[in-house]
Amino acid sequence: MSGKGLVDAERRRFNRLALAPSLIVLFVIAGLPAIYLVVASLTPFQLVNPGSSTDFSAPLRNYRLLPDDPRFVNSLWVQAKLSFWGVLFQVLLGMLLALLLHTQSRVVEFARTFFLIPMVLPPIVVAIIWKLIYTPDISPLYYAAGLLNIAMPSLTSSVDFALTAIIIADTWEWMPFTFLMVLAALQTIPDEFSEAALVDGANRLQIFFYITLPFITPILVISGMFRLIDSVKAFPLVFLLTGGGPGSVTEVTNYYAYLLAFDFNEIGYSSAVTIVMLLLVVAVSLGVVWMGRRREAME
Amino acid sequence: MTKENSSHKSAGFSRRTLLQAGAATVGAAAFPMPVIAQTKPFAGVTLRGASFQHRFFTLLQNYIPEFEAQTGMKVDLQLSAFPVYNQQANLELSSGGSAFDFVNVTFILAARWVAAGLLANLDEFTGDPNLTPAEWKPKDFVEGAQVPYRDAKGATYGYSWEGGAMVMGLSRMDLMEKKGLKIPKTFAELQEVCAAINGTDGVTGLVSFQLHHWCLPPYIQGFGGNIFRNPPADIMPALNSPEAIQAIEFYANLLKNYAPKGVLTYTEDQARQALLTGRSNIFIHSSAWITPILLSNESKVKDTSRVVRMPAGPVRDFPAANSQGLGIPKNAKNKKAAWEFIKWALSPEISMRLVKEHGHSSVCRKSVIESEEYRRLNTVNGQDLGALYLEVLGLPAKGENYMAYRTVKEFPIVGDVLNKAFEQVATGQLAAPAAMNAAQEQAVANMRRAGTAL
Repeated sequence: MSGKGLVDAERRRFNRLALAPSLIVLFVIAGLPAIYLVVASLTPFQLVNPGSSTDFSAPLRNYRLLPDDPRFVNSLWVQAKLSFWGVLFQVLLGMLLALLLHTQSRVVEFARTFFLIPMVLPPIVVAIIWKLIYTPDISPLYYAAGLLNIAMPSLTSSVDFALTAIIIADTWEWMPFTFLMVLAALQTIPDEFSEAALVDGANRLQIFFYITLPFITPILVISGMFRLIDSVKAFPLVFLLTGGGPGSVTEVTNYYAYLLAFDFNEIGYSSAVTIVMLLLVVAVSLGVVWMGRRREAME
Repeated sequence: MTKENSSHKSAGFSRRTLLQAGAATVGAAAFPMPVIAQTKPFAGVTLRGASFQHRFFTLLQNYIPEFEAQTGMKVDLQLSAFPVYNQQANLELSSGGSAFDFVNVTFILAARWVAAGLLANLDEFTGDPNLTPAEWKPKDFVEGAQVPYRDAKGATYGYSWEGGAMVMGLSRMDLMEKKGLKIPKTFAELQEVCAAINGTDGVTGLVSFQLHHWCLPPYIQGFGGNIFRNPPADIMPALNSPEAIQAIEFYANLLKNYAPKGVLTYTEDQARQALLTGRSNIFIHSSAWITPILLSNESKVKDTSRVVRMPAGPVRDFPAANSQGLGIPKNAKNKKAAWEFIKWALSPEISMRLVKEHGHSSVCRKSVIESEEYRRLNTVNGQDLGALYLEVLGLPAKGENYMAYRTVKEFPIVGDVLNKAFEQVATGQLAAPAAMNAAQEQAVANMRRAGTAL
């Protein structure tokens, strides 16, 4: 082996040794629970029947039952609607807000900080705030509507509005994330481009579509993807605002998995539901990684 | 002898005396326990218990120092929110843990825990005169409240600390009298009264809350149906029987037409507030939630309220009854100490003190509920709330046990399906027959998936 080869081998060995502690910790805190989840999903494990945790007689039984479970199928559909509309509004409104607040002034700087508050609140606090807003007896929203003689339905128990109510609350909480990302991107656009376009006679709308938007598009896509992955975690809002109802109108997959595990004691089946959900999130995550690499390659 | 030594002698102690006295003091400080332990057999024991947060335990905590002084043990009582406690205890018991010496046996989980053998048989304690004196009287507990804590052979796994007897509270008798309405005694009259009062003076006809699988079964049974075909022997769900469909339609119409906006997501507290402030005229729920219209200082409708038995359906009335109990996990480390605590906490003396000193009336000791003192404290505007409470709580134990559906360990699965179906009907997503047929199918599928042989 040449001297360079030896150095490379030593470097690889050192890299492996340096990475080992982190990988071990990662394996213990993330790998082991995931493996346990997979193992549990292959059993009919019920909390009140501990022996069932090692029953591997029909390992794919839970997965076979899933397509015929209407609540599971419905929960995926509800999750898809919640994610799609939630992310769409968060990206659009976050971008609009960033465009509005992309100026230099003390008031605007204060406003920027103010708009970030929802994102840093604990999710359960956000859920409580919106519970107060959506409860007709105590809500200032309903009080104001009453003064104007407007009859508002109860948003969280209405079939037509329950999911929308959660989307509004989710958007309020996470729109600042997109706002922050887009604002950062806007600040990297050189002023010369828009100044040149203005000299050439372009109006504000043309500047936005031909200069600003191409610059911020990768950021919009990436933040949208991040929000898409994160939208699966809308649990506190569903738990506190609607409890998955009315009926199953707002029952997302993770809430259904929670009910299965903790209300019905079906740990095995709940694990199978969770694994499917996990695979879907992993697929989206791989999409994000792929897009990131593609962007790097383009640059 | 020096002057100094002489002064020590004259003071009556030498260095040796001082050392001996010091050693004796240290010795006494280090080994006091055996002496005390002769009178306190549980000295040094730390008893760990858990329950959900409830006024009973908050009040009991005032008395626990007395128990600790009597027995020498230390009580570490962990109180959590209702769902948190249930999940934690369920996991702990199911995994055979021994973290708790005593636990609350939550009503909705009692059947599951008893059937799975997760709790210690308390008959072994009550049957031993050395552990339980005759004056503790295990049979003094209201029979209806004890049903959930017995297995098929009649062995007892818990003793109840609270009974919930479903009664009807009416907050605006003044409005009803103005309109010439009487207290409704049938489902049909209930609907008439709700229709007549709803919207008058900004008052809604009735109020309820989101646990439909608690509120709805009395209507299903009132129309002649049940949750299961013949529980606990035959647990095939009976959700799509004509009677169940009729009941769900009836109850959904009540809530749709005469209840406040958003009632489907109301918590018990919200419903109670609506009743206590007179914003809703009728609330049918456990006595602990209803009687405050007469007893609580929060009530703004004390003078215009009545508490009575709930209306009857075409068959008769089936007011729901439940209870919460204390039990000992099968693998608890300090079973005898835990029994000592349960015995004390549920003794007639403590029950009576809770009633007298704190007005906590939902105790389960018959001798207390039937006492003159209890009657005096719980008779308001001529209404004997204690008698009503005892009457309703005892109903399931008389004749057929119509609350048997609640003791079926699969009830949470079926109850959840029933909840969903009811919400679908109440919000107009599905007609009652379609919703209940789908619910029946789903309940059977879910039970089979969970390993129940039907």
